[in-house]
Amino acid sequence: MAVDVTYYLVLSAGLFCIGLAGILTRKNALMFLMSVELMLNAANINFVAFSLQWGNLTGQTFALFTMALAAAEVAIGIGIILVLYRNFDDVDVTDATSMRW
Amino acid sequence: MAFEFAPAIAALPFVSFLVALAFGDRMPKGGALAGILATAGSLLLSLWVFLTVSGGSAYVHDIHTWTVLDGGSVLNEITLHFGLLLDPLAAMMLLIVSLIALLVHVFSLGYMNDEGETGLPRYYAGLGLFTFSMLSFVMADNLLMAFMFFELVGLCSFLLIGFWFREDGPPSAAKKAFLVTRFGDYFFLVGVVGIVATFGTSRFAVGQGAADAAQAFPVMAAKALGVTEGTVSLAIPGGMDPQLWFTILGLLVLGGVIGKSAQFPLHTWLPDAMEGPTPVSALIHAATMVAAGVYLVARMYGFYLLSPTTLGIIALVGGFTALFAATMAVVKREIKQVLAYSTISQYGYMMLALGAGGYVAATFHLMTHAFFKALLFLGAGSVIIAMHHNEDMWDMGGLKEKMPVTYWTFLAGSLALAGIFPFSGFWSKDEVLYEALVHGLGTVGTQGTLLLVAYAFGLLAVVFTGFYTFRMVFLTFHGEPRTDTAKDPHGVRWNVKGPLVVLGVLAAGIGLVNMVPVKKLLGGAEIDFLHKWLGGPTALEAQTSVHHYADVLLHDAAGYSAGTLAGGEVGTVLISAGVSLGLAVLGALLAYRLYAVPEPVEHTEKLGSVKDLLYNNYYQDEFQVFLAERVTMPLAKAADTFDQGVIDGVVNGTSSVSLFSGRRIKRVQTGVVTNYALLLTLGFLVLVVAMAVTGGWF
Repeated sequence: MAVDVTYYLVLSAGLFCIGLAGILTRKNALMFLMSVELMLNAANINFVAFSLQWGNLTGQTFALFTMALAAAEVAIGIGIILVLYRNFDDVDVTDATSMRW
Repeated sequence: MAFEFAPAIAALPFVSFLVALAFGDRMPKGGALAGILATAGSLLLSLWVFLTVSGGSAYVHDIHTWTVLDGGSVLNEITLHFGLLLDPLAAMMLLIVSLIALLVHVFSLGYMNDEGETGLPRYYAGLGLFTFSMLSFVMADNLLMAFMFFELVGLCSFLLIGFWFREDGPPSAAKKAFLVTRFGDYFFLVGVVGIVATFGTSRFAVGQGAADAAQAFPVMAAKALGVTEGTVSLAIPGGMDPQLWFTILGLLVLGGVIGKSAQFPLHTWLPDAMEGPTPVSALIHAATMVAAGVYLVARMYGFYLLSPTTLGIIALVGGFTALFAATMAVVKREIKQVLAYSTISQYGYMMLALGAGGYVAATFHLMTHAFFKALLFLGAGSVIIAMHHNEDMWDMGGLKEKMPVTYWTFLAGSLALAGIFPFSGFWSKDEVLYEALVHGLGTVGTQGTLLLVAYAFGLLAVVFTGFYTFRMVFLTFHGEPRTDTAKDPHGVRWNVKGPLVVLGVLAAGIGLVNMVPVKKLLGGAEIDFLHKWLGGPTALEAQTSVHHYADVLLHDAAGYSAGTLAGGEVGTVLISAGVSLGLAVLGALLAYRLYAVPEPVEHTEKLGSVKDLLYNNYYQDEFQVFLAERVTMPLAKAADTFDQGVIDGVVNGTSSVSLFSGRRIKRVQTGVVTNYALLLTLGFLVLVVAMAVTGGWF
């Protein structure tokens, strides 16, 4: 019993918007990281849903790659956050405004 | 066989330049020996080439082609190359240059080494490079190569004139020599480009067995004017009359000649160049730098003969310079200054001869002048050594007994310079004046009048030449010593006397190679060897031989014909020779009356303000400074204002606008990462909406 693909897309879009809202409203860098994960997973859901729809495994393979990539991204992100904390004694992204003109 | 070794004539001095530069400070005599060996080698090879050319062969050979250009449909291929042209003219000049370079090197042992000068490796490296440049220039078979070595000669003169660069005078004199000649060379460069662009080649001559397309540019020009048979395709700009265009090209190249050969109005660098070491002055004035200009005109004489206007200008400039410079030499106090002005004057005679159609006369005077002027400079150098580097003739006197070798050789050179029978200068100067006279008489119209005016200048200059030459001799060597230094002069050694004796013999006797007046008087005795010799090998008969010049072009293209005075040809020869000799003797006798006394006084003081005028060189230097300060400077200032105001204004305005807008727009960058994310999202949304609208989703 297959679920209609539209539901997956709506779920994905919702997830993406939650992530986007997190990035635009939160100040905590850790929250940023989590929001980015949400957005990436929204994309993954799309991949898998379309893969199922068209009976093609490529999308699922891509989803696996994206997960690996996300893990790497988190590693780097946490590194950045550590440095941020060391320099500004906080993980508030609105404090770190010195990288400009 | 000899021709295959010809490149070594120039290469040897180049090697000596490198050796002196690299190892000079570790060698005995500071690199002089390398230079002497190299120039001696060049002399031997030149002699070999000379003998081979005398045997009736000539050599035109491409050594290295560095680029081939596409000349379009009219000119086909244009090749730019290094090549050799060894014909009688080049062979003669090679011999002169290498001989004088050798003697100057030997003399330098006495003038520089024995006097304990420092920086000798630099000096000998300069001499080597100078000799190399001049020899390469002489052998060049095309105008572009000639130009390159012409420039190199200028550079070397700069280096050597400014040899004593720690003093005030020499660096400034070197700069002046460099800049003034460069001013002329600028026109020369434009002329070279013009000639290459017109003819597709700048060859002076082509050898036997060359491709049909390869032709010498003077030959092509003669064909284009219809002087000789044949058709050629030329790229003359704007459909201009070929005659006019060739005149323009000739005058442009003449610019370089006037600069290098120190003709009016670009002669001012030469007297200042006396700041250099005396052997260098001998080399510059006798055989290299200054000779290069006249040699260039002789080299492409087939081209100049096609333009009567240019010939007239050459003759007039030459005649005027001969007189103009001779008058200034009359009042100078320093022995080298007198010689400097006499050099300008004598090169004026050569230009006069060339302008008057006397190719052989000019070449002849170039040769005799090379010997007697080198002799006089080296003699002056000897005197300067003796006088502990005091050059003022009024501090000398009575040196005759103290330095007999210098005196007698110097006297031989002076007699030659003044043109007294039978010294070499008499024969050549007489031939120059004779050519000017007969062509002036025979040619109708303005051209003939012009030549007669130039002849009158030249004739008048003879008196001054006789006077200043013997004023110099009497003041230096005769009378009572006027200072303590002159009473007890410093001795000179074999390395000074040797070159003087060699040159003394040549200056006295070399005139015998072309005794045209005697031939004309005796009728039939074939003793004009130089004339015959310049007729040269049959291979170049219709290109650079004197027959081609004198028998074809002189009449057909330049429109010159010979006239006579009373008594036919013999009478004219006698009158011409008699007048020039008489005037020379008159000048000499006047000097004898005034200065050959135990205690001479400055008789030129009686000239009053004229003396001041002459002593200050007609205020030519001041005039040129005036031109620079009052004409060029305001122009340059106006250009500077335009540059600073308009050009820079536009550039600065542009940058101000970007700076201002940048300062405003940069406020977008808050540094808050959230804002950037918002902007990204909004931008993406705008894109999506735009695509939706244009893609017709709604």
